[in-house]
Amino acid sequence: MVDIRLNATINGRKVSRDAKPHLRLLDFLRDDLNLTGNKEGCGAGECGTCSVFVDGVLMKSCLMPVAKAQGAQIDTIESLAKSGELSVLQKAFHKAGASQCGYCIPGMVMAATAALRANPFADREEIKERLGGNICRCTGYQKIFDAVELARDVQNGRLPATALLETDTADGEVIGKSVRRIDAPSKVSGRLKYAGDMTMPGMLYVQVLRSPHAHARIVSIDTSAALAMEGVESVITSADVPGKDGFGVFVHDQPIMARDKVRYVGEAIAAVAAEDALTAKRAVAAIKVVYERLVPVFDPDEAMRVGAAVVHDYAPDNITKHIPIRVGDVEAGFAESDLVIEENYSTQAIEHAYLEPEAGLAYVDHDDVVTVVSPSQNITHHRHMLARIIARPISKVRFIMSPVGGGFGGKEDMIYQGMLALLAMKTMRPVRLVYTREESIISTAKRHPSRTTLRMGVMRDGRIRALAMRMVCDGGAYGLSTEGVMRKAAILAAGPYNIPNVRIDTFGIYTNNTPSGAFRSFGALQTQFATESHLDIIAERLGLDPFEIRRINAMRDGATTHTKQKLGSVSLMRALDAAEQASGWEAGAPAVRGPTRGDLAHDDVRPSVTLGARFGADDTQEAAE
Amino acid sequence: MLICDEYITPASLAEAFAAMETHRGHYRVVAGCTDTLPWAREGRAGDVEIPVLIDVTKIPELNEREVGDHRVRLGAATPIQRFLDDAALGCAMPAMPRCAVWFADDQIRAQATLGGNVVNASPAADATPCLEAHDAVVELSSAKGKRSMALRDFITGPGKTQLADGELVTGFECDAFPGYGGSFEKVGHRRSLVISVVCLAVMVKLDREGRTIDDTRLAIAGIRPVPRRLREIEELLRGKKLSGALLEEAADMPLDLVQSRTRQDYRRDVVRGFLVRGLIAAAKRAGASPDALTQELEAAYG
Repeated sequence: MVDIRLNATINGRKVSRDAKPHLRLLDFLRDDLNLTGNKEGCGAGECGTCSVFVDGVLMKSCLMPVAKAQGAQIDTIESLAKSGELSVLQKAFHKAGASQCGYCIPGMVMAATAALRANPFADREEIKERLGGNICRCTGYQKIFDAVELARDVQNGRLPATALLETDTADGEVIGKSVRRIDAPSKVSGRLKYAGDMTMPGMLYVQVLRSPHAHARIVSIDTSAALAMEGVESVITSADVPGKDGFGVFVHDQPIMARDKVRYVGEAIAAVAAEDALTAKRAVAAIKVVYERLVPVFDPDEAMRVGAAVVHDYAPDNITKHIPIRVGDVEAGFAESDLVIEENYSTQAIEHAYLEPEAGLAYVDHDDVVTVVSPSQNITHHRHMLARIIARPISKVRFIMSPVGGGFGGKEDMIYQGMLALLAMKTMRPVRLVYTREESIISTAKRHPSRTTLRMGVMRDGRIRALAMRMVCDGGAYGLSTEGVMRKAAILAAGPYNIPNVRIDTFGIYTNNTPSGAFRSFGALQTQFATESHLDIIAERLGLDPFEIRRINAMRDGATTHTKQKLGSVSLMRALDAAEQASGWEAGAPAVRGPTRGDLAHDDVRPSVTLGARFGADDTQEAAE
Repeated sequence: MLICDEYITPASLAEAFAAMETHRGHYRVVAGCTDTLPWAREGRAGDVEIPVLIDVTKIPELNEREVGDHRVRLGAATPIQRFLDDAALGCAMPAMPRCAVWFADDQIRAQATLGGNVVNASPAADATPCLEAHDAVVELSSAKGKRSMALRDFITGPGKTQLADGELVTGFECDAFPGYGGSFEKVGHRRSLVISVVCLAVMVKLDREGRTIDDTRLAIAGIRPVPRRLREIEELLRGKKLSGALLEEAADMPLDLVQSRTRQDYRRDVVRGFLVRGLIAAAKRAGASPDALTQELEAAYG
């Protein structure tokens, strides 16, 4: 390799250093200079967490070979609040509550800085457009746009600088007040260290070998060539696990690396710790695995049939969990109903797409405490599981929760922490694993895809007499949170409605797809999508307003749910009133709505999307002028 | 991950050709790198080891810019952002700023180059239909000398061009259209950072009263293996009085434009709407008389 002698001005200081020729500017800044304020969210120019100024022009440093920075002036997020004093924009992000998980925020602050430099008077549409290259998964963007508008107005003197400060609250009273988040300054400045930003002296870099097959028996794994490579410290497989292998939120069915067989594409098989990431990558490529392909099963309904491929021996019917609920007499309820309607509903797998890909750092400390630092959403449970897997007493296992750069349920599972702990124990050195975006998508949990059959019986006046629901969810190759998701789905399936006769069955099923796990709403979305859609269909058939049919059936204070939970107070009626008012609802049954959608023509409805705000509203007759 | 042993940044064409000769068979030419780096990732090319990368963006000839009354010449390393920053260039190529605003995002287009967009020869490339509407000619250079050919001949299929071994695209020359109104219509899954499902470049020149179409240029991409100039529509419109009926007649010409692998019906609907909307927008920017087009027409295609 021919190193590049890079001479550049970085955050106002001259830098002259040798750099590997294949590095991207982002790698050079983060790994060689330890400027970790700017992040790597995707490595493909899609997310903008890596945005830095190159000679005053904002660029994505993950798309720039380091050689392109030769002679350039580079400014990272660290340049904006150099002496600790936040910039106006950073203060505005703090004030507006624009940072949540914070992982997109350094890039977002950089993009906002660039936008207001390009046009100090940019309106909201132009701000949106100029921030188009940066993705946020937490805020829904509105608070970010609020922050940029606030900064713009302060910079232009339209608002006083005090607008950036906390609103005074009497006697420290905070409830009902708009208060600034105390963690925001660390996020808007890029100073907060996520797991992938952390380093330790002597740290090794981890890469993982993943299965190319959905279902295959592992005949053999040969790691000798990888182990023989210079710079490789350790290669581990499931054979290296000292204790009782297996993790999961409810059933411990998942080994930390595939044991005897692989059950989905992307499942970890072996992990390498080496002196640098490239060596670890090459060692992974040198591991030889012999597979014997097995018939896979990808459809949960097929997986439930007799004779289908079996994913786990302990569950020959492929059922991870079945939750049945029975209340009253459903068949009698249908018999007395004036109208019975049955429909099928389905929802798809969804990736959480938190901006921070999984990352973790592990080490064995001076007292032999195996320590794992990672953005885990469930460290106590992980700690108990890991102690059993590595056969150490709980007092010798420690989990430290690093800042979570977006989780949404996707970081509840102990997908990679076991490999890190084992490598730290094997090498007695700190080890760090940072997932690529592709690894994150291929190997971690998704929202459960579902198929639901729903039958509901109602009286002419809209009262629901009976509900029968059967939902089959694809749980994928391992249990993870499936049991809990099925429970929650069943508990919430009938919605906040009084229904005397209920029959609900939710099934989580093993398949050879990517495992499904926790994801915001945790099962409620799948069943309630069916129930609420069904109510709209019934409202149309009965000539009722969709709000009205919900009010007719709404639980009130003191109601008992179909799982026998007594509710003290029920806010449904207030929620319906608020939703009806806020949406500009046109009263009436869905079928009688006229051709003009009055509810879509009020001020709060956004116009259709386009680009070109920077050309101005009156951009006609350019050529003529 | 893109792995190389050496990254060379030649300062002249001669240096570039020398490096290409020295590392013959072991190099890849790169420019903005905004497509190359994402290409070398899992799910596409995976980890790619290329012994030598030759970065042509610092070669002076590839950064030239000449904007005359009738002709424009641009070096191949021209970043897409230049069409937004350079008013004279935007005037000579009026659809190009509209295209640039839809091109990737504010940051990537500061780095992505015109030459790279053309050489990649993606059926969904955004800049290519604009160049095609200008009858662009591609300049090709090698150690042996120069040659040039029409852009429409240069791109032969998805990812395929007539670029020969040892040759570089050094620049583009095309007609200048000052006084034309330009528009660019594009749709994808979202606004920024999106691959075109359909994109259309339109330029319109009107008479002094803003009522008659003196000249028009249209080219479309994203719907077939290579971009296509819409000469039949240009012929129909040229010399005609601007009206909604005329634009709809143009959009309804039976040209069988959509030859994509997927979503043909959707694309056909979009193409029809884009043709009318693009022509309306370009005509307005060309100074269309306020009564030439009705508000109903604009609302229907807005």
